[in-house]
Amino acid sequence: MNIYCVGTNHRTAPVEVREKLWFSSGELSAILDLLKQQNLKETVLVSTCNRTELYYSFKDELLSTDPLWQTLVQKKNAAEHLRAENFYSFSSLNAVKHIFAVASGIDSMVLGDVQILNQMKEAFTVAQENHSTGLLLNRLFNTAFHVGKRARTETEIGEGAVSVSYAAAELASKIFEDMTKRSALLIGAGETGELTAKHLTSRNLKNLVIANRTRMRAEELAQKLDGKVIDFEKIIDELLHVDIVISSVESPSHILNAKDIRSVMKHRGNKPLFIIDIGVPRNIEHSANDIDNVFLHDIDDLNHIIDTNLSRRKAEIPKIQEIILGELIQFKNWHDSLEVTPTIQQLRDQFETIRNDEVKKHLHHFSTDKHEEVEILTKRIVNKILHTPMVNLKNGSAEQSGTETQTRVHIIRHLFGLDKKDHK
Amino acid sequence: MLLNLFEIVLPVSYFATTGLYAFGFFKNSKNSELYKVRFLIFTLIVHGIYIVFRTIEFNHPPVTTVFEILSLIAFTITITYAFIEIRTKNRTTGGFILIFPFIFQLISSFFIKELLEIPPVLRSYLLGFHVWSALVGYAAITISAVYGFLYLILYRDIKSAHFSVIYKRLPNLEMLERMSFSATVFGFVFLTIAISVGYAWLPRAIEKFSYADPKLISTIAVWLIYAAGLSAKKIIGWQGRKIMVLSMFGFIFTLFSMLLINIFFSSFHKFL
Repeated sequence: MNIYCVGTNHRTAPVEVREKLWFSSGELSAILDLLKQQNLKETVLVSTCNRTELYYSFKDELLSTDPLWQTLVQKKNAAEHLRAENFYSFSSLNAVKHIFAVASGIDSMVLGDVQILNQMKEAFTVAQENHSTGLLLNRLFNTAFHVGKRARTETEIGEGAVSVSYAAAELASKIFEDMTKRSALLIGAGETGELTAKHLTSRNLKNLVIANRTRMRAEELAQKLDGKVIDFEKIIDELLHVDIVISSVESPSHILNAKDIRSVMKHRGNKPLFIIDIGVPRNIEHSANDIDNVFLHDIDDLNHIIDTNLSRRKAEIPKIQEIILGELIQFKNWHDSLEVTPTIQQLRDQFETIRNDEVKKHLHHFSTDKHEEVEILTKRIVNKILHTPMVNLKNGSAEQSGTETQTRVHIIRHLFGLDKKDHK
Repeated sequence: MLLNLFEIVLPVSYFATTGLYAFGFFKNSKNSELYKVRFLIFTLIVHGIYIVFRTIEFNHPPVTTVFEILSLIAFTITITYAFIEIRTKNRTTGGFILIFPFIFQLISSFFIKELLEIPPVLRSYLLGFHVWSALVGYAAITISAVYGFLYLILYRDIKSAHFSVIYKRLPNLEMLERMSFSATVFGFVFLTIAISVGYAWLPRAIEKFSYADPKLISTIAVWLIYAAGLSAKKIIGWQGRKIMVLSMFGFIFTLFSMLLINIFFSSFHKFL
């Protein structure tokens, strides 16, 4: 099978190495043009922050993979950072199996990562626009997208939050029905706090209020997240108006204690208050979680949620492997069907069946002594019709490259509906 | 007989509807999503026709035996659930509710028989209306308690950050509270109707009528508990767990008072 893959990912190279070989979508076309000159028939380059992988098929003769990854490395001037051991390569069914694993999310750094499928689709679109794909890679990528979709719909590989910020946003949506009516208070301007607030605002939060010891930083963040800034000293008053609190400040003592929150709850009519405390040491006295309608979670709670979700995702891997195996077999069957001889045989069989049926239907119009003649005549007609295309198809396979013949076979199979017949 | 056919079709139909809702909840299946609402509507129509046919056939409202009442309860729970589903646009939790009508209808279909002699008072359609509205009221507060229970499970899950199997599929706390509240309001309105009709009409219809009747007193007590709960929510602004606990308390009180009264007291209010 003329399908290959060479690449580097989070398992074979650390981030400082991977980032040197990252191609933006703008750079992809140029590198595909460059690769075309290296005896490659089809190429798709997938480049994300966790992997850069080249899928390809050769024009005629097989070459070593070394010049290919060297081309990538040279293009990025990254020769001093990348070594041969940072690369892996797969060929034939192993390459197919690998792309299916990538598309399903089980090869991702974060197990079940949903972004990879979109990134693959983007890479494939660029390659198609660049006319770098053909029969094999078109089929390969489309099947891989199908595997990815099946993995997401038939298993729970992408279920449950696996990052602190997402876990917090998900919990919030289990408490509140309509986020567009909810307000949040972000205390501190740390990275995780910001990410959590971002996740919440992406769910159309009504208001975001930011309080930080350094007001300037809060204002910067407010501009970025379309929020409003309040003084750090006014956070307790603000608790009356918000439904969600995200706190991530460095403070040796609690910035909010249970007593404060208890009294706030009375004044806010006992409306639910969801508090995410991602500060270490913890910013909010943990006993506040005992107060009715207060849901307080610290970083350990969120990490626990993430761990549980990750182990649930891990438990889905066998199901995905089964999907991959099934699709792999189908892909191989399709690929095998592109061989010339079985196609010619199938086509002959199909014509013969049609001839036979028609003759049977109409034979009674002829006298018995003519039956044999009718048989011979119709057989001859069918053979003559089939003769030239069959000879050309056979000869083509000797003169032209493998993929050219496969394309012809594919067209013939499609035109005469041979695969559909197989499928039945 | 046509009625016998209904008595077979109904439990099967309830079973299928409950099964589809439960399957949809636990397996998140899209196919069951498609069919469960159709099955619910079908079951309700068939059950409605059954009640009408039964009433016409025997010339009295179907409130003369425990098994007629059970069938009526099944119908009222289902219709109340349908009302809540339409109101809240949430179709995930039906399995938790519809299991009750399925069990009630199954028991009813097995044992239902026509009494040879019907006390004249049970032939009254006003009594039928009184009983039916009381049943709707009790069905609704049962549903309210189921949602209250689901709320408390989810509340505990979120508080402790340890999630039970049903965590993922349950709607959010606010929605569960709204569903429970809708059911309570529905139930309260029908209990009020049942009590009003009872007070206006029973003293004239029944000779032995007494204001000290235990069923009457307990119904008033139930009504008062729910009136207090609704006021606590609307006037004092109680929210969340407290209201849900109150809903559970109301339901348990109702259940026990009805059981105790039916077992230990004799009353004019007991016809069966």
